[in-house]
Amino acid sequence: MIELINLTKEFKKPIRGKGLSGMIKTLFSRKYEVIEAVKDVSFKINEGEIVGYIGSNGAGKSTTIKMMCGILNPTRGKVLIDGVEPYQKRKQIASKIGVVFGQKTQLWWDIPLIESFKVLKEIYQISDKDYQERLQFLFDVLSLDKFLSQPVRTLSLGQRMRADLAASLLHNPEILFLDEPTIGLDVLAKQKIREAIKAMNAKYKTTVILTTHDMNDIENLCSKVIMIEKGSIIYDGPLMKIKHKFGNIKTLVLSVNPDLDIGSVAKFDGDIDIKKEEDRVDIRFNADKIKLESVINYAFSVLKATDMKVSDISIEDVVKKILSEQEKGK
Amino acid sequence: MFKRYKPFLRASAMDLAVYRFNLIIWLLVTVLQMVCMVFLWFSVYRSSAGGINTIINGFNYKEMIVYTVFTTIFTFVTFNNETLWLIYSDIRKGTIGNYLIKPISYRGKFIAGAIGGYLIMTLMFGLPLFAISYTVFGLIGFITIPTWYDLVFHILLFLVAQFLAVLLNDTITYIFGLFCFYTSSGWGLNSLRATLTSFFSGTLLPLAFFPPVFKDIVNWMPFAGLSQNPILILLLKYDYLSCLKVLGLSIAWIIVLELLAKLIFHNGIKKVTVQGG
Repeated sequence: MIELINLTKEFKKPIRGKGLSGMIKTLFSRKYEVIEAVKDVSFKINEGEIVGYIGSNGAGKSTTIKMMCGILNPTRGKVLIDGVEPYQKRKQIASKIGVVFGQKTQLWWDIPLIESFKVLKEIYQISDKDYQERLQFLFDVLSLDKFLSQPVRTLSLGQRMRADLAASLLHNPEILFLDEPTIGLDVLAKQKIREAIKAMNAKYKTTVILTTHDMNDIENLCSKVIMIEKGSIIYDGPLMKIKHKFGNIKTLVLSVNPDLDIGSVAKFDGDIDIKKEEDRVDIRFNADKIKLESVINYAFSVLKATDMKVSDISIEDVVKKILSEQEKGK
Repeated sequence: MFKRYKPFLRASAMDLAVYRFNLIIWLLVTVLQMVCMVFLWFSVYRSSAGGINTIINGFNYKEMIVYTVFTTIFTFVTFNNETLWLIYSDIRKGTIGNYLIKPISYRGKFIAGAIGGYLIMTLMFGLPLFAISYTVFGLIGFITIPTWYDLVFHILLFLVAQFLAVLLNDTITYIFGLFCFYTSSGWGLNSLRATLTSFFSGTLLPLAFFPPVFKDIVNWMPFAGLSQNPILILLLKYDYLSCLKVLGLSIAWIIVLELLAKLIFHNGIKKVTVQGG
């Protein structure tokens, strides 16, 4: 189990003067401003959970992750992984965790991928049997065989990310930290990464903490979402609950006759939002307050829809709304 | 326990073998410098008041030239240390995180690398160069060949001293490297390290040339173990007791400096802000 208790990280940043004279001045007198990257963050993550850790750029996600895997020391508060503080017992925790930083590779740049894996086998002291078995499993879910003998620097971003993910899983960690594992990847590559994470979680009960800006990752993988903004946690709970934060918003997309004039037909009796564009009509409403059935009835009987699709509000919309409300609140 | 570090030992050995061309250039530069030094010493001895057979600070010209050639080979084999630059780039690029998330010690990785580099350099250059130059100097009478057991013992002691010199050099370089945690820059630190090392280790000229009190201080510093002491062991300038004394001094310094390095690392790592991401 992972537990964060009032975790705080401050960075001291020198205030630099402008231009050459300012630069010379900073040589002699240094003033610092203290930036709180992470403020009083507390949460718990249970074994086998896949948790989405989201927030905008610079919200403090990576800093939290780095403290959780023992790279950074917190200024105050603590992280406990199975009761141990990772930055104090770094080596002990290191064999329990796997980490992927999407923005940089941990593989050795100049040597073939398979050699990197062999190095990791030695570093983590993985037995031959376990190594073979896991390698086979990772080959299957990540299809690495095509570029196994290539030096890492020649791999495409998607291949490299799959390789990095495989590298972080070779020693079968109990906890997997993924810091933007799908950054810059195409749809298919993202799909592969997601499937591998799911398979790993199902087979080995690996706990996964995932940061991402792609809300599809969250919707496909996570049962729980933690949201951080300006260093503080603003949401911690199940995915369904954050999706319904603004009510059970549904959208109906209809195909209609392009000549239909919305203004002239009978109005719907209730609070719905209708937009028409060419032959398409979008209806948004809160399904907690208005029955879906009555809206569908209205769509077919009044608007004469020829086709229809119902969709739930996307997490992306919710996050957008939360962030813009945060902005306004400031 | 040590098995985890094997790949780092292998990698640094392989790196040196792969970048052979680099090494050859470096070897040429070293040889040129050495030739200059040899001619310099010749003219120093020839132009001194007592002529070519003067003894300066306990060295006649033959011994001086042997010393110069041997230190050159020695430093070429043992001083090819990348530790400071590796730490520097780990800090700059933020790749230090890659090692901190693995179940290995950051220090241990560099020790393994230093030993790997030393082994390959000894095999490729150290053994053949020492064997050839020792034989040549023996044949032309620059070295008096001792009894066989003295020779064997001193070679063994020399090998121990050389290994300790590799460790000591890596420890010193590592400590200088750790200051990159605070400065985020490496050039100044490396120049300071290189200057101190070549001046106080007797690479530039034997420590016997320094003024009396200063000489004693320098002899107690860790640097003497880096090149002067191993060479003087090989040249039978030390009796067995003195050999043990200088080896003991090196071991003591390695322990003290490793502890110091641990302290600096633990303080410095709190200051590290892993860049990017």
